[in-house]
Amino acid sequence: MIAIDRRTALFKSSGARSLIALRRVSRIYDRGAIPALRNLDLQIREGDCLAIVGASGSGKSSLINILCGIDYPTSGHVIWEGRAIRRKRDWAWLRRLRIGIVFQEFNLIPTLTALENVELALLGRGLSPKHRYTRAGMVLGHVGLDHRPHHLVTRLSGGERQRVAIARAIVNEPKLLLADEPTGNLDSASAAKIADLLFNLHEMTGMAIVLVTHDDALAARCTRRIRLRDGAIVEDSLRTLMSGPIGTKIKT
Amino acid sequence: MTLFSLALRNLKRRPIRTFLSVLGIGLAVGSALALVALSRNIQDSAREATDEIGDDLVVMQKGASDIFGGLIPEQIVERIAAIHGVANVSGELVAFAPNSSVKSVLTLGWPDASYLWKKVPLREGRIPTAGERHVAVLGDTAAASLGKELNDELDLFGQTFRIVGVARYTTVVNRGLALVPLIDLQEANYRPHQVTIAHVKIERAHSHDELERIRGEIDGLGNVVAATTNEVLDNDRNFAIAEAASLAVAIIAVAMSALNVLTALAMATQERTREIGIFAAVGWTNGQIIKSIVIEGIMLCAIGCAVGVLLSFFAASAFHRIPTIGNLISLQPGIGLIAPVVGAAFLLCILGALFPAWRAVRMLPAEALRRM
Repeated sequence: MIAIDRRTALFKSSGARSLIALRRVSRIYDRGAIPALRNLDLQIREGDCLAIVGASGSGKSSLINILCGIDYPTSGHVIWEGRAIRRKRDWAWLRRLRIGIVFQEFNLIPTLTALENVELALLGRGLSPKHRYTRAGMVLGHVGLDHRPHHLVTRLSGGERQRVAIARAIVNEPKLLLADEPTGNLDSASAAKIADLLFNLHEMTGMAIVLVTHDDALAARCTRRIRLRDGAIVEDSLRTLMSGPIGTKIKT
Repeated sequence: MTLFSLALRNLKRRPIRTFLSVLGIGLAVGSALALVALSRNIQDSAREATDEIGDDLVVMQKGASDIFGGLIPEQIVERIAAIHGVANVSGELVAFAPNSSVKSVLTLGWPDASYLWKKVPLREGRIPTAGERHVAVLGDTAAASLGKELNDELDLFGQTFRIVGVARYTTVVNRGLALVPLIDLQEANYRPHQVTIAHVKIERAHSHDELERIRGEIDGLGNVVAATTNEVLDNDRNFAIAEAASLAVAIIAVAMSALNVLTALAMATQERTREIGIFAAVGWTNGQIIKSIVIEGIMLCAIGCAVGVLLSFFAASAFHRIPTIGNLISLQPGIGLIAPVVGAAFLLCILGALFPAWRAVRMLPAEALRRM
């Protein structure tokens, strides 16, 4: 693994198209009292596998929230495939069809079954109920939950819940999957399985994946790593040579 | 899964709140229906009752605010009878008569020779003979509610009347009547030689010109006014006040149901802020989120309205069994009444649901997801 001084030069050499980019993005809470992100520039390309690391309070979650538009920057721009995204409606469209999100706390609806939670992400797409049902069931199968689709999520284990959350995030075949500490609430065995699932998805579908994690081992499996400190990127590193399935995708 | 099944699931999830909200809406809609039905039926019952007795014109004191609100001298009846084209005319004194069982009986006093006596549809007994005093003919429900039969004695205004006949009218008001000789009612009410109204039957009632001519001649008699039954009831101040008051209370009741929905949904939305954040995080638009909350409101309202309509029919049936109400009015909420009240309730409930929905989508999804 090599450390890169400035990422911009590096990524210009990559042939992949830019998916999402942040331009001088700041996020300040409490009317200027708490700066979570400071003048951040970041570009994520198609097929990227990026880990965001940093200490608690360094701005990791704020960054992921801005990347999926569930929070807005105080200043700066977010650009999706070359177009600045400003309207709430555009963000909703992106989250529906282009960006999937997996949260540490799963964020599932407790009164719904695993299948229904996945179906939530398909509502409003103009699909027939039968099509939604079939598709949600199929994606649950992909994440290894085809045996418990009709269980209420409250009756599933932590690992199973996170699988449901991942199924919900990928059911619309997004180009970018954001995962905010996806293994943070899981025991080590479940965490390993969820990590495998995420990296397998990345490998099989080629979707870009961004992981926020405290786990160095998990971060090490990503081809790119950025480190945040006090809301600024202090390190952006790219692996050039690595054994294993994803290392071969990176060209520098 | 659809937005409807999702809303239904949310309602089932909090059964007590849903039950109380539905009950609140049901009571509001039910009372609104009952009140509007009441105001309409008071007027309709009076109209039907007057129509059943059958006259073409009613003569009352000029400027009287309502049909019972004036008095005219009995002699004027003879002067009306003398008008060319008048077939029949009868004075009528109207009074609510307290009796010993403290039930108020709507009592009409007719002169011995009144043509109205001949039109009484007797179920049993007879009408009073000329000059007979202190006798009464009761409507069948009045007889039943007072527990009286033929030849029983009846106390009215502290005087004893003997029941000589029981009539079988078809309208609710007339079935609760007591008919007595005019002179007895005048004495009991200290209204000698006075009547409340005069009923006028015209020979060629179908002729508008004839009707107008006779009206003009009656109006010319001084201090009296002739009008058709419909005109009298439409201009009756008591009915207008009752209708306005009922309508106002009905509007308040329906508004209360909207407030119920607003409160229920505002609470539910508040509790489900995190869920709404999840909907937004998976790409639901503001429109979808608002729709899901409004659908829930509409479901609450639909169930509440159904309960309200059932309650109003239950109230109608219960009121019918209470003699003091059932003898005077027939409370039947019909489709013509249910449709506008339920429509208004739906409209208000949708507005009530829109507010919490609007509040929910104003919040940033990230902020909503942080809420417990």
